[in-house]
Amino acid sequence: METSFALTGNGYVIVAADTTAARSIVKMKIDEDKIKTLSSHLLMAHSGEPGDTIQFAEYVERNIRLFQIRNNYALRPSAAASWIRRSLAQSLRSRHPYAVNLLLGGYDTAEDQPHLYWIDYLGTSTEVPFGAHGYGSYFALSLLDRYHDPNATLEEGLATLRRCVDEVSKRLVVSPGKYKVKVVDKDGTREIEF
Amino acid sequence: MATASVYSSPGFDFSNQIRNNFLAEKGLPLPKATSTGTTIVGCLFEGGIILGADTRATEGPIVADKNCEKIHYITESIRCCGAGTAADTEFVTNLISSNMEMHALTHGRKPRVVTAMTMLKQYLFRYQGHVGAALVLGGVDSTGPNLFTIHPHGSTDKLPYVTMGSGSLAAMAVFESGWKTKMSREDALQLVKDAIAAGIFNDLGSGSNIDACIITPNHTEMLRNVEMPNERETKEKSYKFRRGTTEWKSESIRKLIVSEEITPIGGDAMDTS
Amino acid sequence: MSIMQYNGGSVIAMVGKDCVAIASDLRLGNQALGISSNFQKIFSVTDRIYLGLPGLATDVTTLRELFRYRVNMYTIKEEREIQPETFAHLVSSTLYEHRFGPYFIEPVMAGLSKTPSGSFKPFIAATDLIGCLNFAKDFVVAGTASEKLYGVAEGLWESDLEPEDLFETISQTMLNAVDRDAYSGWGVVVHVITKDKVVTRTLKGRMD
Repeated sequence: METSFALTGNGYVIVAADTTAARSIVKMKIDEDKIKTLSSHLLMAHSGEPGDTIQFAEYVERNIRLFQIRNNYALRPSAAASWIRRSLAQSLRSRHPYAVNLLLGGYDTAEDQPHLYWIDYLGTSTEVPFGAHGYGSYFALSLLDRYHDPNATLEEGLATLRRCVDEVSKRLVVSPGKYKVKVVDKDGTREIEF
Repeated sequence: MATASVYSSPGFDFSNQIRNNFLAEKGLPLPKATSTGTTIVGCLFEGGIILGADTRATEGPIVADKNCEKIHYITESIRCCGAGTAADTEFVTNLISSNMEMHALTHGRKPRVVTAMTMLKQYLFRYQGHVGAALVLGGVDSTGPNLFTIHPHGSTDKLPYVTMGSGSLAAMAVFESGWKTKMSREDALQLVKDAIAAGIFNDLGSGSNIDACIITPNHTEMLRNVEMPNERETKEKSYKFRRGTTEWKSESIRKLIVSEEITPIGGDAMDTS
Repeated sequence: MSIMQYNGGSVIAMVGKDCVAIASDLRLGNQALGISSNFQKIFSVTDRIYLGLPGLATDVTTLRELFRYRVNMYTIKEEREIQPETFAHLVSSTLYEHRFGPYFIEPVMAGLSKTPSGSFKPFIAATDLIGCLNFAKDFVVAGTASEKLYGVAEGLWESDLEPEDLFETISQTMLNAVDRDAYSGWGVVVHVITKDKVVTRTLKGRMD
């Protein structure tokens, strides 16, 4: 089952998502990248209805890029979260709403702060120190509540993430095999071997 | 959705409907609009009309407001009691009150009760009962005293004494036993009070106090809380907490006074040398 | 399980002596799963009007944005600040506009209105999800813990409480009511509005 986690730490946000693309009971692909890099300091993990997720993620990616080209500066994480939330809320009022859940991690270069937003397909948006989507969230959120430290170094943050991933592999019936992990900090976004 | 456009069309906005149906399909039942159990009555007497209402507003089994006003203003000599969906009674009477004022202004004379009744029934019929207002409309105009009931689907009755709402049966029983033609003002007011009291004490959707409104050709008297049979006893003890009882983690104070300048009056004259 | 309970959350407002207070919990959940313990449901509309929006979280944000837009338009057109009574009617008609496709929110307002003599009068109000106004003289409640809040507030509230006493009364009402509600809690925030300042405090409450 689809699962994604994200947590903030001292000057960074880690975003992790599983890499399986499933259709019904069949695994179609095991190296799917479900974390979009929206701009130099913005990451977005997306999960939900297959098709909707990629379609919506690309729509967001291009609009954020368009804003950057038009205005010569990138949207800050809070502004991006606002815009994305509104897009989802508007989509929910259309005949074919996007069923997409998101974790938006970004680094605000203006105030040197990491930000993480938990957004669901209803257009619910809230800033959180850590968040998760999918069945894995039932296991991960309690672990993150216990072990999360807003001042943790990247290594410590990754160790906390490791606990979540291990717990989900151990206890969830249909647990995902592999995860892709990306980090955003003052130097921008990068993928981390996990 | 609210966009930056200046124009917004009048009337209801259905933009949430698709979403709400979608949510309902997912197994989340839509909440029912709050409907008020009520006792409202109206009765003719020699020389005018008396309207009566209880003052309880309910949300399911909860008493939401213990002293609300259910006798709504239409014009100076026409009033309307509302039962049913609370918001609907409030907005429908407001709308008709506004239209009646416009009507009076364009025609330059006092509008009639039938006019208000027709406006209300046509509006309610248009919404096929979805605007859930059950009304008792009463007033005095050039044709004399008039009393109507209007049902949510738009049907109307013209009767000498009427009741509506969940307490209508209790109230009607009182009217049936006590109403006579050409009653005096005092007797009629007492009968209305008794009818509402029957609703208050025997119907659990009605409660608290009695409101009444006496309308005569040249005077309207709104008797807010004429009878208060359910007044709360003052508490014997104060339940004030000792200051510092509640532990708090953080505090922020937003000062609303930006700057304060005190100009002394009198005193030394300005140095102009 | 109704949509009104989907995210959880409760708000209460109380009147004191020349002051008002409004409090909410801080939980955001997805049914039984807690997502956030810092989800603000109370927003300041003007310096002296605070608005609490318990209900479906997506509508909390949507309505907050909608009211901000409408209040800004009012301020620009009228060239003056909106008064609490006017704002209550703005809220009411905005919700009634969506009578046949409502927002799943039951707003609670608290504020101080300016009297012609220049002093301030306490004001509280609440509406149901389609905008039926309820002007109370004592307290108003809404949200998943509303039934409990009614009970506790009915017992604890008394008239003419000074700001500091009102803070204790509203805080204890809120804390004890949300402890008996599974969908509310995870922290409480209280705003006490007086004529020259607004004191905002985050309370120490149970986190279960």
